[in-house]
Amino acid sequence: MAETAAFYEKTLPPHIRAADSLPKRFWGQLLALAPVLIALCLTGRAEILRILSVCLVSAVAFEFLAAKIFRKKENLRSGETLLAAALFALLMPSRCPSEILILGVFFAIVAGKELLGGTGSYLFHPLLLSRAFLQISFPRIMTEPMLLVGGSLWTLAAIGLGGVVILKRKRGYWETPVLFLAVCFLCETLSGGGGTTVSFLSGALLTAFFLLADPVAMPLTRQGVRIFVIGAAFLSSRLISGGFSIRTAGHAILLMNLLTPWLELWLKPAPYKTKRLIKATYPS
Amino acid sequence: MPLPFKESEMGAVSTAMDQRAIKTETEIFPERSPKAARKELFPSTGSPSLSVSVQTFYSFLKRKPAGVRLERKKEASLLHWSIKRPYPPEKIRVPVPETSLPCVRVGAIVQVGQTIAVPIPVIPPTGREGAVPTAVTEKKLKIGTEARDPEGVSVHAGMSGTVGKIAVFPDALGGESLMIEILRQGETKAIPSPLPETRKGWNETPVEELLRSFQHSGLVTTDPSMEPVHAKLQRHAGARAVIINGCEPEPYLTCEQALILSHPVEILKGAELLRKACGAEKIIFALENSNLEMVELIRSKIYFLKWKHAKVRTVPALYPQGLESTLFQGWFPGNEEEAATFPASTAFAAYEAIALGKPFYERIVTVGGECVVEPRSLWLPLGISFQDAIHACKGVMRKPRKVLMGGPMAGTAQTTLEVPVMAGTNAILGLPQEIVREAIEEPCIRCNLCADHCPVSLSPAMITLAAEQKEFEIAAEYDVADCIECGNCAFVCPSKRPMTELIRRARVHAPRTATRG
Repeated sequence: MAETAAFYEKTLPPHIRAADSLPKRFWGQLLALAPVLIALCLTGRAEILRILSVCLVSAVAFEFLAAKIFRKKENLRSGETLLAAALFALLMPSRCPSEILILGVFFAIVAGKELLGGTGSYLFHPLLLSRAFLQISFPRIMTEPMLLVGGSLWTLAAIGLGGVVILKRKRGYWETPVLFLAVCFLCETLSGGGGTTVSFLSGALLTAFFLLADPVAMPLTRQGVRIFVIGAAFLSSRLISGGFSIRTAGHAILLMNLLTPWLELWLKPAPYKTKRLIKATYPS
Repeated sequence: MPLPFKESEMGAVSTAMDQRAIKTETEIFPERSPKAARKELFPSTGSPSLSVSVQTFYSFLKRKPAGVRLERKKEASLLHWSIKRPYPPEKIRVPVPETSLPCVRVGAIVQVGQTIAVPIPVIPPTGREGAVPTAVTEKKLKIGTEARDPEGVSVHAGMSGTVGKIAVFPDALGGESLMIEILRQGETKAIPSPLPETRKGWNETPVEELLRSFQHSGLVTTDPSMEPVHAKLQRHAGARAVIINGCEPEPYLTCEQALILSHPVEILKGAELLRKACGAEKIIFALENSNLEMVELIRSKIYFLKWKHAKVRTVPALYPQGLESTLFQGWFPGNEEEAATFPASTAFAAYEAIALGKPFYERIVTVGGECVVEPRSLWLPLGISFQDAIHACKGVMRKPRKVLMGGPMAGTAQTTLEVPVMAGTNAILGLPQEIVREAIEEPCIRCNLCADHCPVSLSPAMITLAAEQKEFEIAAEYDVADCIECGNCAFVCPSKRPMTELIRRARVHAPRTATRG
């Protein structure tokens, strides 16, 4: 027994941690995104292969570069960079030249994320910010039809499958996709547009499950997230007269990101004593 | 301190079956609408600010008791049913609280249960700061009218032997305190179990004598606060209810459960003593809704005792929900002075002190964790070292990475096993690498999990992000003072941030007067 009287670790409680972690979250998102990419390849949209490979390679390169410049560890292991690259590829038009892709990835990873402090510190969704930057710089190319537009039922089913995976893993609030889809559908139907077309549905589902899954630039209260999602859905249907599209959804999310600090201020948790009085009693 | 009762009332309080003392359920727990309750507490609140009104509007969506459902891991230490007493070790080091003074000399021979330290009388401020209480000053104090009752409790030897040293040794809370070392002498004999018979007329003890007996038997609450029971009872004098806490929300801990299952009537009788001493009307037995066999057991015992003033209530089996600080939330909204909470083992110790005349020198402790060969609950004398306690459970199978006092969520990690068991030590756990391994800290991604799992509805992410930037005013604005340090936020955090450490730092530095409307 003498040997057990050696040194033990002295740390603060809690001594156990939940199994959740950032790499698990990012790789889980990538797993949910995989069926979408496969479906796009199989349904004859071979451009996805070129766009995806350019995005992935340049993202990895820029991540190493950023890690070198800012002197920190690169995010390759956690899957964050790969997830960003794969999502960025889906947001691009199908006939986008490679140099524009590289510029967009550079803007997203270096300017949109790392310059603003890296993971967890940016104020705007970096991919959507980069998309808006490309939109301003190259309006003609960026307004061409996107990969997902006019997509097949297979793509839609793949996005739905990814959504089921995400909901099953319970990494976000269930209200986020539900509220977003409901408000979008309501706005589309009221304005007489096609609320049930495949391209609308695939765009709305992709936004709800993958673009709104990044909590960094979203409010830090559950009520705030609800209002954020409703606002984003309303704006993405109403911002431009043409109705819903992923492009407008991106701008809508950026606009709501702008509103995030105010949402946090307005929905600050009430003082604890007040809250405790509202709290229901336990069933005895 | 004067007692809260008049002499004439004392009889009425002490007879449990007095019909006047027993009110109906709705009188004691009146149904108050949230609005009325708030108006009652905050009568002068003007028009609520925007944030409060929005919160109230949304409040119907989030009114469930928050917490984490943990893996409970209680089976291993419940396998060995009986609560055994180990053979006395080579030596024990009995911790002496700051409010007590040793009254034995080095080399003296002591017996089990003998008083080895007495409470220090409180010296009135007469300009003689730090005066040592000698027999002369004590005599003077008794004559003077300003002298108050001592707050401390007596300390008793948990083992027969000789007093080896009276010195300052490291304790399990990370500090150092005064301890009396008792060395075993002669042949190995088991520590004797409690007396076979109850004292005559023990359940008609008057309140004053109850409090005095609690003090002289050295009774302190068996939760980590370790407050003397008589002081706590006096603080809560005239409370509406006494809550007996039988919940153990943390994994591995089964000492309360083992005690309740083996001595339910004794615990109830001890609870009745505490209720009388407190002057309360009701006894509420709090149990987790996962232990329904315990609920049924206590209900049936209450039924056979024909007590209409005792009642079992369940709380959800979520992590911080059984802790003392969270038990009030639903039952006594806004007023924590309305009930006094005691662990079930304290009620048992109170019963033993009054009915059997046995001082408080041993307590039930769970020795467990994956590394211990035979995890079980034991009666351990106060002052036995962790090393000997683990040895009483047949040692360790492999070297633990961490040895904890208390559960894995709120316990204290130990650097050495030479620290003694205290009154607040409910468990000694040896946990291996795969359970307690550390993860790399990553930046906050504002996923909001911590706020969703906070039992007191704070926003830990905001508080810790502010504390990292040394913006302690903002942390105070987000009510960091209300934190109960349950550790839920650090448990659920996917970025593995040191939430507890940052919140503690914020609590130390936060300005205390910060309030908002």
